[in-house]
Amino acid sequence: MTVSELAPYGDEPAQMPSGTPGKNGFLRLGFARRGARTALVTLQRRAPLLVQQALYWDEELPDLACVVIVDTAGGVVQGDRYEVETELAAGCRAHVTTQAATRIQEMDANYASQAQRIVLHDDAYLEYLPEPVIPYRHSRFVARTSVCLPESATLLYAEILMPGRKHYRGGEVFAYDLYSSGLSVDRPGGRELFAEKFLVEPARSSPARPGVMGGFHVLGNVLLLTSVAGTERVLARMPAVGEHADGWAAGASRLPNGAGLSYKVLGMESEPVRATVREFWSTARLAIMGRPAPARFPWR
Amino acid sequence: MISELLRALQFGDSMFPVGGFTFSNGLEAAISGRVVRDPPTLAAFVRTATRAAATSDGVALLEAHRGTRSGDPYRARAADRALYARKPNEELRAMTVRMGHKLAQAGARIVGGGTLGGWLRAVTEEATPGTYPAGLGVLFGELGVPEAHAFAVHQHGVAVMMLGAALRLMPLHHLDGQAVLYAVDGSVADDYRYASGLTPAEMSAFTPQVDVLAANHVRAHVRMFMS
Repeated sequence: MTVSELAPYGDEPAQMPSGTPGKNGFLRLGFARRGARTALVTLQRRAPLLVQQALYWDEELPDLACVVIVDTAGGVVQGDRYEVETELAAGCRAHVTTQAATRIQEMDANYASQAQRIVLHDDAYLEYLPEPVIPYRHSRFVARTSVCLPESATLLYAEILMPGRKHYRGGEVFAYDLYSSGLSVDRPGGRELFAEKFLVEPARSSPARPGVMGGFHVLGNVLLLTSVAGTERVLARMPAVGEHADGWAAGASRLPNGAGLSYKVLGMESEPVRATVREFWSTARLAIMGRPAPARFPWR
Repeated sequence: MISELLRALQFGDSMFPVGGFTFSNGLEAAISGRVVRDPPTLAAFVRTATRAAATSDGVALLEAHRGTRSGDPYRARAADRALYARKPNEELRAMTVRMGHKLAQAGARIVGGGTLGGWLRAVTEEATPGTYPAGLGVLFGELGVPEAHAFAVHQHGVAVMMLGAALRLMPLHHLDGQAVLYAVDGSVADDYRYASGLTPAEMSAFTPQVDVLAANHVRAHVRMFMS
């Protein structure tokens, strides 16, 4: 990956060269309709990434294929180069999450990266709702996600970014070296609808500034990519203003080129942000699929 | 050199009729959200906005400028579309396109010529969104204003727009506003050095609080500004 912000991090790790076996996690997930349900018909994997099978735990949408991505290394370390490809055939519905928070471990050389590609076909519906990302002190992480979907398909994509191990050793907040996350959304045929790139280098410019994180610590970044009609149905169900005195704020905005909605949540701790993202998830699912999100598992 | 300076002054002037006075670039929302309360928080908020502009709007402006200087109109249009696709907030998109369309009309009328006529046509026929930074890059490229000066004029313009709005939105002495502008302008040279090495695919902006404030401003009951 040739990316300007990685220029300072070209040194190789002493433990093992970057991207070698053990550091090149890979997943290819392919979903297709099998009768009334969606099945995981293609599963290719390489450690440290692991998926075992699709389960069907969603009581509101029992045909929804639910997949948990596991990182058997227990965290992303320097020199890791992960790739994840997800494709949903026409009419499929799936929910993809992670088994635990993505911990981006402390680094003293090189960086870690993740490249993701998500392709949806007509009328497909994917909820991609991983657990939060926690960038440890001195970590360097680059993520690039490319999404391709037609207007009839829907992707709910939510990421929760922690400031670090906030409650560890006196507090580790915005102590990472680099967090660079880019996402692009195209229609089949290549027309770009929307893109965003967050480039956070706390040593160059503090994320605590007014207008950036502005004193908040946790960011919930949700994208609902769906039809224009679906977007308006979701907006109609949302409260007019999402600002609260009790320590969190949120707002929804229509994306360019009819791509869908952006919903951002700011809070001080992960739980209120996750709860707010979950509420949005349920509102969106109700508007798009006619069913709310399932009851929360107490252990998640 | 004198004529290029005068072109930069005329078309970059806050009084140039592109409707800049109707927008606050998120400042109204920040003040009503109590994020901006006094000159220090105003300065920090304006600096956040100019930093984000440098790595997004500024990159599109430079690409449009370079495309125009090299005789390739499609680079400007590609930069324009890429910038528009990277603005998640509908009010801020409306702001940049409204100002951009007025600038395109003004440029074609006052300066004329094939390049600016072609840009206006592309914008009116919706072949390209017509964002203000891309349009300014095309105009200054055509007028021979050096790219660093074009970048600087745009950055300065972002700060001036916000400080002009601040004078109407909060208790602020004119000279305090000018002091903020002077300080913020001090970052432009470094911002240019950084932005001039980026490609449009590398455009970035990290302003979640601005995004949340601007999102809620859309439906606010009492508004003086359109963004």
